[in-house]
Amino acid sequence: MKAKAITLNVNGRRHQVTLFPNVTLLEALRDLNYTDVKNGCEKGDCGACAVEMNGKVINSCLVLAWQADGAQIITNAGLGTMENPHPLQEAFADAGAVQCGYCTSGMIMAAKALLDENPNPSETEIREGISGNLCRCTGYTQIINAVQMAAKKMTQQRSQQ
Amino acid sequence: MTAKGRALPQVDLPPLRQVGRPLRRVDALGKAVGATVYAGDFTMPNMLHAKVFRSSEPSACIKQLDVTKAQALPGVACVLTADELPDGKLITDMPGQTGQERRKGSDAPVLAAGRVRFVGEPIALVAAETLAIAEQALELIKIEYEPLAGVFDPLEAMKPGAPVIHEPDNIVSSWKIRKGNAEAGLAAADLIVENTFRVPFIDHAYIEPEAGVAWVDDQQVINIRVCTQVVEHFRSIAQAVGVPHNKVHVRGTMIGGGFGGKEDITVEIFLALLTKETNRPVRLAYTREESILAHSKRHPFIITHRTGVKKNGRITGAEIKMISDSGAYPYLSPYVLLYATVTSCGPYRIENLKVDSVSVATNNPFTSAFRGFGGAQAAVAYEQQMDEMAKALTMDPLEFRKINYLKTGDSNAIGQQIKSAVWLEEEAMQALAALGEKKSVSEDAIKVGQGFATTMQSYGRIMWFHDTSRSWVGIEQDGTVVVRCGAPDLGAGQANSLCQIAAEVLGVSLTDVTFYNSDSAVTPLAGTTTATRQLYMSGNATLKAAKMVRKVLLDRAAEHFKKEPNSLDLADNKVFIKSDPQQWLSLADLSKMCAADGLKLQHLALFRAPFTDKLNPENLQGNVFPDFTFSAHAIEVAVDTKTGEITVLKSVGCHDVGRAINPIAVEGQIQGGSAQGIGYALMEEVQVKDGVTRTPSLSEYLIPTAKDLPTTKAIILESGTGVGPFGAKGIGEPALTPAAPAVANAVANAIGVRIHDLPLTPERVLAALDHAKKG
Amino acid sequence: MLPQFKFLMPKTLPEALEMMDEISRVIPLAGGTSLLVDLRGRLSHPHTLINIGGLDELRGIRIEEGYVVVGSAVTIADLKRNVLIAKHGQVLQQATTVFANPLVRNRATIGGNLAYGSPAADTAPPLLVLDAEVELMSKDTRRTIPLKEFITGVRKTVCHPRELVTAIRWPIPPEGSVGAFRKLGLRKADAISVLSVAVMLHCKDTGDRDQVRIALGAVAPIPIRAAAAEELLDREPLTPEVIARAAQLASEATQAIGDIRGSAAYRRRVITALVQRLLTNLAKGAKEKKRNESKGNHS
Repeated sequence: MKAKAITLNVNGRRHQVTLFPNVTLLEALRDLNYTDVKNGCEKGDCGACAVEMNGKVINSCLVLAWQADGAQIITNAGLGTMENPHPLQEAFADAGAVQCGYCTSGMIMAAKALLDENPNPSETEIREGISGNLCRCTGYTQIINAVQMAAKKMTQQRSQQ
Repeated sequence: MTAKGRALPQVDLPPLRQVGRPLRRVDALGKAVGATVYAGDFTMPNMLHAKVFRSSEPSACIKQLDVTKAQALPGVACVLTADELPDGKLITDMPGQTGQERRKGSDAPVLAAGRVRFVGEPIALVAAETLAIAEQALELIKIEYEPLAGVFDPLEAMKPGAPVIHEPDNIVSSWKIRKGNAEAGLAAADLIVENTFRVPFIDHAYIEPEAGVAWVDDQQVINIRVCTQVVEHFRSIAQAVGVPHNKVHVRGTMIGGGFGGKEDITVEIFLALLTKETNRPVRLAYTREESILAHSKRHPFIITHRTGVKKNGRITGAEIKMISDSGAYPYLSPYVLLYATVTSCGPYRIENLKVDSVSVATNNPFTSAFRGFGGAQAAVAYEQQMDEMAKALTMDPLEFRKINYLKTGDSNAIGQQIKSAVWLEEEAMQALAALGEKKSVSEDAIKVGQGFATTMQSYGRIMWFHDTSRSWVGIEQDGTVVVRCGAPDLGAGQANSLCQIAAEVLGVSLTDVTFYNSDSAVTPLAGTTTATRQLYMSGNATLKAAKMVRKVLLDRAAEHFKKEPNSLDLADNKVFIKSDPQQWLSLADLSKMCAADGLKLQHLALFRAPFTDKLNPENLQGNVFPDFTFSAHAIEVAVDTKTGEITVLKSVGCHDVGRAINPIAVEGQIQGGSAQGIGYALMEEVQVKDGVTRTPSLSEYLIPTAKDLPTTKAIILESGTGVGPFGAKGIGEPALTPAAPAVANAVANAIGVRIHDLPLTPERVLAALDHAKKG
Repeated sequence: MLPQFKFLMPKTLPEALEMMDEISRVIPLAGGTSLLVDLRGRLSHPHTLINIGGLDELRGIRIEEGYVVVGSAVTIADLKRNVLIAKHGQVLQQATTVFANPLVRNRATIGGNLAYGSPAADTAPPLLVLDAEVELMSKDTRRTIPLKEFITGVRKTVCHPRELVTAIRWPIPPEGSVGAFRKLGLRKADAISVLSVAVMLHCKDTGDRDQVRIALGAVAPIPIRAAAAEELLDREPLTPEVIARAAQLASEATQAIGDIRGSAAYRRRVITALVQRLLTNLAKGAKEKKRNESKGNHS
């Protein structure tokens, strides 16, 4: 097995890494210290590893790093910081949608993808949009509240621009 | 089922400024932006990667174990087997931390020595330069098993001649209740109803698999950074590794879900052994499949109720039998069984009660703590039994229960007087009222049903464990506050509650409080995050410590203002005269004044639960738990009678939490706990056949997705009668306990027939419908 | 961790086919939602993988000579939102809405779902009722196989080692054709099908009677058309009694097995119920249509 140099553009930063072909994007991201991307199952069952790749939210455990060569990747940590959180991050924190927090990064990425496509989703649409992200702590109700709160805020922000 | 409204008893709780407000939790934003570093997110320079070699046999002797090829693989730093472990140190996981007696010889060994008793039992440890090499090394370990006869059914395991898991027999634990005269009580009944209920193995399925990193520092202390519900395990870890207690330092992380699955020791001893052996940092992270294999499960139970009742609805006597599957090693089986036994008949007045419970060893996966801890299993049985009795009497299920509910001042099944509020009726009524009228459907094949359950679940640990907690609260010279408390936070906001309490007492905002928790060396030991005890124990300790700081502040301020301390108050980062708030001093200035005078601004407080003596297992009579939370959950389902599929349409939980420290957090617990209960009722089962788990990943072991649950309405009642801070009770486990039986009762209401086994799969629904047609 | 393998990354389809011709037993990888799971679980040990998910020639949905042609690397998510599929493959689009979950849908491909050859592949029953064909190409060959001949056993297809599934196509259903897909899983999202049913009312514009097509998933070693049931419905009108008999025949066409998700008996029984239900809805819809049409004629 031969390693190859690839480029991963993550949260606006350009990384050049030399990797073997059997390294998943999840492993590559975590090795680059993007530990907000979580390993919950490594087979697409839980969504904890969700990131945005070239505009689509996907399970990074099911993408080989070589397949992401040159791609634009956004992880939850790239959406905002504690000083300047993304409306979704803020809403999650305020609505009680974060309990243990382990599903949160993947959940927020799925919610962002939903809102990108559908800025004012119904409860049913939100449930559908996060149906690939398992949460064991919240029962999802406050997560849905958070997404609705963020949707309102983001619509407001857009109209103010 | 109708629920008429009724006025709640009037409760006047003192007004508070921080406690009781739905504030953003102190840990929420860090988690939301992905900044929180969990156990698997941490690395150390020069770190090795570990893997565990596990048994593929459920019951066997290890004829030969050859690790030489694995050891020889380039990049492998060490391979450990039972042979290399400190002499004769077999360790069991008993987070009692008070030295509980346990059946000798039934402890789980750190690594199997000569015999394996379940699939997944750890046999060897590997540490290597990379994870890939460690995985390769596992493949090079040669093992020869000699299979031994195994037993996989507790009923079989109890029979004479069954294979014995641990000498002398497979009975791990038993408890009995002999209250009044059950035989006479049943004889006096107009009607006797008998049912047997079964519940399966359940996995905690926390989204974070077990993980940790360990290293030896410059004082030869073994540091273990790990997700754990119990930092006090440092003692057992030290013993297993052969070092003094003060040479193990457990640094607990923010846990990505626990639910009891991270209550026993998981990766800690493996990490300690490997780092001690290699003198390098070592990381061990379980895969999901390994997590499911390696950690405990919820006990399966077979529960038989035989209850006598008069035509007027009064229960005259009951006989209950409980059998739990302890799996290959006892772990906490005796205590899970105790909880189940104490709550076996539910929150009802039953003067004549005979309960026989037993926990039985098998070669199945080992079972231990899981949210509810026996109380959840007991509730699945007693609340379905109550509905069946109501049906047999053709009484409304709530009216029937009202005739039998415990009230404040009554004694429970083992004679413990309930001193706190028992608002079962009100909770049931509010939950049912919130459900509203049954949804009407046009399709004939779809049947809609409603059901509820009212339950009791203890909070606070078994009192003969002599439970204590410590918390250290201090105020800085700029008026900000620090809380140090050993309480692990498993995601339910344990740390935040302590901060909100400290903020309340010291008159600051929640955002002025920083916390340090879950560190066995650096934070005062606060006991386990289990048994719904942290708010009660550490909340009270924190309250106590904060009050001690407050007293120092107010006494000094009193000098300053030349007033009595009780005429002053702390709020908005100030001390002020209550009757003349224009006279105030900033907390920062007050703190500086105290510091200048050499006054003590940091206080460590100990809170002690009532200490009792162990009760007689032959007849449990006395007090076990400090108190109980009484709860209700109501569910509406739609059942497709052609396919058997069940849809949960509505879900309402109503709980008297005594006092909600943070209402959003309490709602979250009710919603999340009931989600686990709904999963328990409808889809969760670790299927085990001949000791082999057939649901190895989250594709086969199904937990609810967002599409499987409706919005859950959480109704919080506050009686103020709990023994926790500000009159709080506990909600962690109680949130789950009523949900599964509520679902079961709703399904029975929908289809007119009872299914006695969980989960209520579509196939079981159709089988029940068939059975009803025939019978 | 995944096992070791060589990973080829061609830039064009001809390059890919060339590579596959040179090296025997190269396994194509697109979305990876099935294959990478197998690799990780050591259920599969390919020596070499070839990346085909990004090849432009394998993407795209178009109409060609009365056929809907879908590139094999088109994702389930793309199918779900595509207007041509909405119009000419509605029964397939229904399946995409209950396929796995949104994250998986963004990567899983129609070609991958079929090539994996699972009896529970959710795109298969809809494609069977659409009379779909699978296009296979190798360096020097190109052939089209009816889907019902493509999957031959559990995880077995007629795809040769040097061949690649390049497209899936089906004739545009006549105006008025309508279909439905329903799967049953043990939870409401992200569940492996315990069983699935696709039905289609295939209208003949010539005035001949409409053809009813029925396909079943996860109840036989391969996804199947319920031929005997279809023959009955060719002869008899869509009355409740005939529908019940057809549903029974459909159930008899299954070779369901019992597994952790359900017994064989349960699967057979619920197939009967679901086929009956879907055909009943179809019949209701057809009646409504006729009623509306006749109303239209009189006004």
